[in-house]
Amino acid sequence: MVLNVVGKRVPRIDALSKVTGRAIYPQDIYMDNMAYGKTLRSEIAHGYVSLDTSEAEKIDGVLRIFTYKDVPKNEHGVVYKDHEVFISKKVRRVGDPLAFVVAENEKICDLALEKIKVTYEELEGVFDPVEAMKEDAPKVHDKSNVLYHFKIRKGNVEEAFKRCYAIVENTYKVHMVDHAFLQPEAGVAYVDEEGNIVVMVATQYPHYDREEIANALQVPVERVRVINTNVGGAFGAREDITLQIHLALAAKELKRPIKTVYSREESFLAHCKRHAMVMKYKTGADKDGKLLAMEAEIIGDTGAYASWAANVMRKAGVHATGPYYIPNVKVDSYAVYTNNPFAGAMRGFGATQVPIAHEQQMDMLAEKLGMDPVTIRLKNIFKKGSVTATGQVLTEGVPLEECLIKAIEGFTFNIKREEA
Amino acid sequence: MKKRGRGIGLSFYGTGYGNGFPDVSKARVKLLEDGKVGLFVGGAEVGQGAKTVFVQIAAETLDLYTENIHLEMEDTDITPDSGTAAATRQTYNTGNAIKIACENFMEKLKEYGRRALKLNSTAGLKVEKGEVYLEIFPQKSISFRELAEMYKEETIEAEGEFIAQTVEMDPETGQGAPYWPYTFSACGVEVEVDTLTGQVDILKARLVQDVGRAINPAMVEGQMDGGFAMALGYILFEDLNLVKGKMKNMKFSKYLIPTAMDMVEVENIIVEEPESTAPFGAKGIGEPVMIPVGPAILNAIYDAVGVRITELPATPERLIKAIEEAERRANGG
Repeated sequence: MVLNVVGKRVPRIDALSKVTGRAIYPQDIYMDNMAYGKTLRSEIAHGYVSLDTSEAEKIDGVLRIFTYKDVPKNEHGVVYKDHEVFISKKVRRVGDPLAFVVAENEKICDLALEKIKVTYEELEGVFDPVEAMKEDAPKVHDKSNVLYHFKIRKGNVEEAFKRCYAIVENTYKVHMVDHAFLQPEAGVAYVDEEGNIVVMVATQYPHYDREEIANALQVPVERVRVINTNVGGAFGAREDITLQIHLALAAKELKRPIKTVYSREESFLAHCKRHAMVMKYKTGADKDGKLLAMEAEIIGDTGAYASWAANVMRKAGVHATGPYYIPNVKVDSYAVYTNNPFAGAMRGFGATQVPIAHEQQMDMLAEKLGMDPVTIRLKNIFKKGSVTATGQVLTEGVPLEECLIKAIEGFTFNIKREEA
Repeated sequence: MKKRGRGIGLSFYGTGYGNGFPDVSKARVKLLEDGKVGLFVGGAEVGQGAKTVFVQIAAETLDLYTENIHLEMEDTDITPDSGTAAATRQTYNTGNAIKIACENFMEKLKEYGRRALKLNSTAGLKVEKGEVYLEIFPQKSISFRELAEMYKEETIEAEGEFIAQTVEMDPETGQGAPYWPYTFSACGVEVEVDTLTGQVDILKARLVQDVGRAINPAMVEGQMDGGFAMALGYILFEDLNLVKGKMKNMKFSKYLIPTAMDMVEVENIIVEEPESTAPFGAKGIGEPVMIPVGPAILNAIYDAVGVRITELPATPERLIKAIEEAERRANGG
C-alpha cells in the first residue's frame, strides 16, 4: 500500500492555535449581559440535607438560586441515572451539588453561597468497598451496594490448581486517583434567537451531553446545541455531566448568558475518579512455567455513583488474566457503592488496574520456579490464534513477542535477580 | 544505599464500548463551494490528536493534501454523532466511518463527473488530486472546484457509518467476544531506589506499543510519553489522601503529579502490524500506552530492593516501611 499522508509526521492541525494562545477554551468566552453561576456542594459524605435559601436570595445582585425543585427531570448518568442534578433529600458523597447560585458577578455568588443555610442530618457512611458488600453495611442508594458482578468461568480452576507446581497468592490494593487534567471545568450557556439552548463546554462527547441536558430539562433534543470548545485534557473525566445541566437550566430560565468556571479544588470534587480496587489473585503454573490456572476476585469502589462502574469492572475482569493463555480461569469482579468520591472512566478503564496484580504475579511465579521474568512470559503470551479467557479468538496481529523483545533490547537486562 | 533493578510489564487492551453494545460512529463528507472537502464528525479533540488523525485519513482516502480538507467537529447542530472520545475508539471507529464516507463521496463525485463530462458510465473514472478523470482518455477531466461551481444548487455529499463487531458475554461464564480490536504493549524500566529516602529514580525506560499502523508516528510517540508520565504519577506520587470520603489533597501543591523534572526520556518503539478491519490498519492507542508502565516500575523496585509493593502509591514512606519490615524479617525480628 502506497501511502502519502497516513504514516507521516504531519504537524497537529490544532497545534498553532494552542501554542499561540488563540485557541478558545470555555473560560475565555465572554458575552454581553453575562451572569455567573456557582455551585453549593455538600460537605458531608452521607446524610439528609435541607436548604434555606431565603436570606441568600435577598442579596442585591442575586438573580436566582436553583435547587432540585427547579429541574423538570432531576437525574443524569452515563448508564444508570443515579445522579441527581441537585440533591433532593440525601447526599451520598462530599461534593454532591445542592444548589446553583446565579448572580451578576462571582463575588455576589460567593456571598450568596455563604448565606444559604444548610442543615444536615448525618448518616453513618461506608468508605471501604469490602465493608460495603456486607449485608448490614449502610446503604448508599437504599438497595444493595453491590451494583454489578461480572464472572468468567473457564475450565476448572480447583482441579487445575492441584496440578500446579508453583502457586502464588496475593492481594493488591490500588487507590483512587484524579485525572488532573490541565483545564478545570468551565462553560457558558445562552438562549439563541430561535429559542434554542446553546451550551459551550469542553467535553468528550457533545452528542451525549446534549441528550442529558434535553432529558433533565424535558425539552426536545433538537432544542439543545452543544458546542465543544477546545478541551484542556480529559482522560475520562469529561464523560459524566458536571456543569452542563446547571448552565443550561439557568440560561433557559433567566434568558441570559450564564458562565461558570470551577476552581481546581471544585474540579476535584466535580468529576469522577479512577476506581480503587482490591484484587485478590491466585495464579499457578506447572514445572516448566506454563500457566495452568488463575483465580481473581476484584472489588471495585465506585463511590457514591455508578457512572461507568459496570463497564469498568467488566473491562477489569476481561483483562484480569493479562495477555496470557490460561486454560482454567475464574474471575469475579464487583462494582460497589460507597460514600467515597464517585469513580468512572479514566485512561485504561479497569484494564490499567489489573496488570498491577497479574504482572507482579508473573514475576513471583518465575522466582518460585527459578526462571527469569522474560522466559516465563514468552512461554505464556498471546500469539496470533490464541484464545482469551472469554473464548475470543485473536485472529489479527498479536505482535506481543516482538513488543517484549524490543522492550528489553539494549538493556543490561539481567533477566535473573543478581542477589537474593 | 542506592540499588538498581530492572522490571518488565506486559498488557493487552480491548478497544471500544464492548460487550455487544452498539458502537456506532458516523461521518459526513461534503463538497464545499471552493472545491475543498468538508469533513463533519462529532468526535472530540481532547488533546489526543483526533483532528489531525481524521484529516489524515480523509486526505489519504481522497488523495488530497490535508490543507484541502475543512474539518468541522465542534457543533452538535452540524455534525453527526461519532460516539464518545473514549475507549480508545476514535481512530479505529470514527476513522473507519470517515474512510467509508470518503469512499461513498468518491462514488458520488464520479456520478457528478459522469454528468459533467457527458459520459455514458462511471466505469473507468478516477478520483485523484482533486480531479475526476477518465483513465483511458485523461483529457476528459473535471476538478472538484469546477464540479462545485457547476452544481452549486445541489449538495454533493456522502455519509459513512461504522459499527464495531463485538459479542455480548454470557452472564454466568463470561464467554463472548467483548472487544475488537485488541492492542498489545510492553515496557521495560531500570530504576534506582535510595534505600535511605525511599526515592525511586527511573534510569532507563523503553515503551513498546503495537499500533496496527501509526497514522501519525509523532503523535503516537506523544501519547506514549504522556501515558508513561501518567503511570509514573499513579504508581509513585498521586494520593488524594482520602479520609472518610473527604479528599485532603485537592490542589497541585498537595496532589503531586510528575513535573517535567520528574519525567524521563522514554525510548518509544512503535510496532506495526496492520489490522484488517481498521482504517489503513490503524488501531487506537490512547489508553494502552499507559498500562504496562506501572507494573514494570513495581517489578523493577522489587528487583532492586527485594520488596513487593502491593498497595499503591509506592511513596517513599511506604517503600521505606516495606524495606525496614523486610530487613526485620530477614534478621528474624
